[in-house]
Amino acid sequence: MMPTPPSPAAQPTGPTGNAWVPIPFTVVRRRREIPGTVTLWLAPPEGYPFAFRPGQFNMLYVFGVKEVPISISGDPGTPVPVAHTIRQVGMATQALVNLKPGDVVGVRGPFGSAWPLEHARGHDVVIVAGGIGLAPLRPAIYSLLRHRPQYGNVVLLYGARSPRELLYARELERWRGRFDMEVLVTVDRGDRTWHGHVGVVTTLFPQADVFFSPQNTIAFICGPEIMMRFTVRELLDRGVPPERIFVSLERNMHCGQGLCGHCQYGPFFICKDGPVFPYQKLATLFGIREI
Amino acid sequence: MSAETVADLVTRLEQHPFTQGFPTSALDKLTQAATLQTFQPGTFLLREGRDADHFYLLLQGQAAIELYLPERGVIRLQTVGPGDVVGWSWLLPPYRAAFDVTVINTVQAITFDAARLRRLLDDDPTLAAHFLRRLVAVIAQRVHATRLQLIDMYAVKGGRP
Ligand SMILES: Cc1cc2nc3c(=O)[nH]c(=O)nc-3n(C[C@H](O)[C@H](O)[C@H](O)COP(=O)(O)OP(=O)(O)OC[C@H]3O[C@@H](n4cnc5c(N)ncnc54)[C@H](O)[C@@H]3O)c2cc1C
Ligand code: FES
Repeated sequence: MMPTPPSPAAQPTGPTGNAWVPIPFTVVRRRREIPGTVTLWLAPPEGYPFAFRPGQFNMLYVFGVKEVPISISGDPGTPVPVAHTIRQVGMATQALVNLKPGDVVGVRGPFGSAWPLEHARGHDVVIVAGGIGLAPLRPAIYSLLRHRPQYGNVVLLYGARSPRELLYARELERWRGRFDMEVLVTVDRGDRTWHGHVGVVTTLFPQADVFFSPQNTIAFICGPEIMMRFTVRELLDRGVPPERIFVSLERNMHCGQGLCGHCQYGPFFICKDGPVFPYQKLATLFGIREI
Repeated sequence: MSAETVADLVTRLEQHPFTQGFPTSALDKLTQAATLQTFQPGTFLLREGRDADHFYLLLQGQAAIELYLPERGVIRLQTVGPGDVVGWSWLLPPYRAAFDVTVINTVQAITFDAARLRRLLDDDPTLAAHFLRRLVAVIAQRVHATRLQLIDMYAVKGGRP
């Protein structure tokens, strides 16, 4: 099937109006989160307006290396400096992780679709994150908490490989301390010092069941694709309507604007039609080999 | 066992996901092998390599299925809590536990004496059918979760982070 043509709605906003030109942003803060993963805060040039919707990403360019898509992980209520949480997996991410305050990065964006927070109003919201997948969901959590009375129960299920690989651990603790949010955390493998849940993220559902009513739930999922597949099954088994399950997908990208075809996934371009998709759109593709 | 204790056990069995929906006659029978027990943190429900002489339905608290590796210490493989079951090695010879199961937070459980439970199941094929169907469902869920764990899905493709 032919990919859908680019939509003007996906174009980023900015004073230059040229989505191809990276704007030089300056690293103003860097925090090591967990081994191999840091958060960078990037300040735009003076007077450059920057706003984003939760779930969107920027193309970050370390000059002389390469450009990669990285989700925005900060609070949309205070969009600048722009927060990005980056895990080192190859050359470009290594270069990003090694940046220091004062260094300059090229930024194009924001691109892509967002978590449908407006559709979530009046519903219970179940957020399921795995590993670094919590980063693209964090802006949605900030937004939900900022407008908390508009939503039903808010439940976060988060799984990581081990206790030392739990992203935003301090924030998770803070959220867990709130009376208006349920936070359940698990690790794939623990040791004697870990007193929390051990098991894959889907094993949290029996505990979470009392906190949401499936028929009235909207779910946001982000993590490794295999984790999202099995999480979707758990939600469907419980009766969450497929049109209210949203997932965020990752593919290699180049233009970030639906033009080059690098990020094609079946009939979709992840950069423009996604990265956030209603599961229903992907139901026939999800889990199929070689898509 | 007093009539009151039996009635209390039947009520708890009726509410536990494992035995929920069993006919009352089956629950009555199961009480012959069951007692209500509390286990303190740090104690073991099962020890690797030792007799698997008990089967537990957890009502409260949390326990961990663990494995001790000489060079890596104790690995916590999975945690179990209210509504979960512990142990199935008691069902098949040589009735030996495959893992340690350590109490993390005080556990209240319905504890079954394995030898008695086996006799009850041998004597009553209908009870055995109910019981084994549920146990297979639990084992299937655990195998499924273990497979996902084995994939090590958070690892960076092509290497460890
Ligand atoms: C929409 C979108 C949002 C993203 N958001 C983030 C984010 O917030 N934080 C972040 O750290 N990354 C994010 N990524 C992933 C990031 O873009 C890639 O990790 C990056 O492009 C890898 O480039 P590289 O040159 O460092 O590694 P490469 O040289 O391209 O790859 C090195 C190795 O890592 C593997 N690899 C590549 N990408 C991934 C991946 N996503 N997961 C696991 N292994 C991978 C490759 O298979 C290869 O073996 C996002 C991707 C997309 C599409
Ligand atoms: S990166 Fe999506 S089409 Fe170019």
